[in-house]
Amino acid sequence: MTTMTAPVSDAELGAIQAAKIVDARGSACPGPLLEAKKAMNTIQIGQTIEIWSSDPGTKGDVSAWSAKVGHTYLGTVPGEGYERTFVVRQK
Amino acid sequence: MADKEKLVIMATHGPDDPEMATVPFVMAAAALASDVAVVMGFQGEGVRLVHAGEAETVQAPEFPPLAKLLNDVRELGGLLLVCSPCAKSRGFVDSLVPGAEIVAGARFVAEVTSATSSLVY
Repeated sequence: MTTMTAPVSDAELGAIQAAKIVDARGSACPGPLLEAKKAMNTIQIGQTIEIWSSDPGTKGDVSAWSAKVGHTYLGTVPGEGYERTFVVRQK
Repeated sequence: MADKEKLVIMATHGPDDPEMATVPFVMAAAALASDVAVVMGFQGEGVRLVHAGEAETVQAPEFPPLAKLLNDVRELGGLLLVCSPCAKSRGFVDSLVPGAEIVAGARFVAEVTSATSSLVY
């Protein structure tokens, strides 16, 4: 179970083994957010989802959403042509 | 415990303006995903967006298809309220998408005045 809280270094983020990967590459706003929300309901509190997105707005969107609903946004690191965003389920 | 936040989103643009037709649904879906209750109101040409079959014709560049967003909003519990005279004048009263409810002005007023915030497109 992930117990990290923000801030988390890029190296630490890159090493996270997420409980679920959400592949939202190619999905336009608000698709990645909606897919993240669905995925959050499939993992346990304290576990982490990793969202893959090619939409440049996803990082800010997921960060704001996490703060709004009470999850922990850990950060975002670049992938191969997309971004990897990590969020810990908190409720 | 505080009441759930509620956002009212009024949509007045039809399929002839795909971007402005789509943005209200993007905002609605994002709000619903953020645990905010959403009431969407459709007036003027906006009623075409909940006329059966018309959402399928709308695709704004770099946005999801409107039909998908409409489905997302319905699945996430968004309320769809349709201006009665706007629907009647277009002959849509019996051909709205499932879940869309025809209402009159006072209902819109009640929804807006009881909302945390409202947006008009």
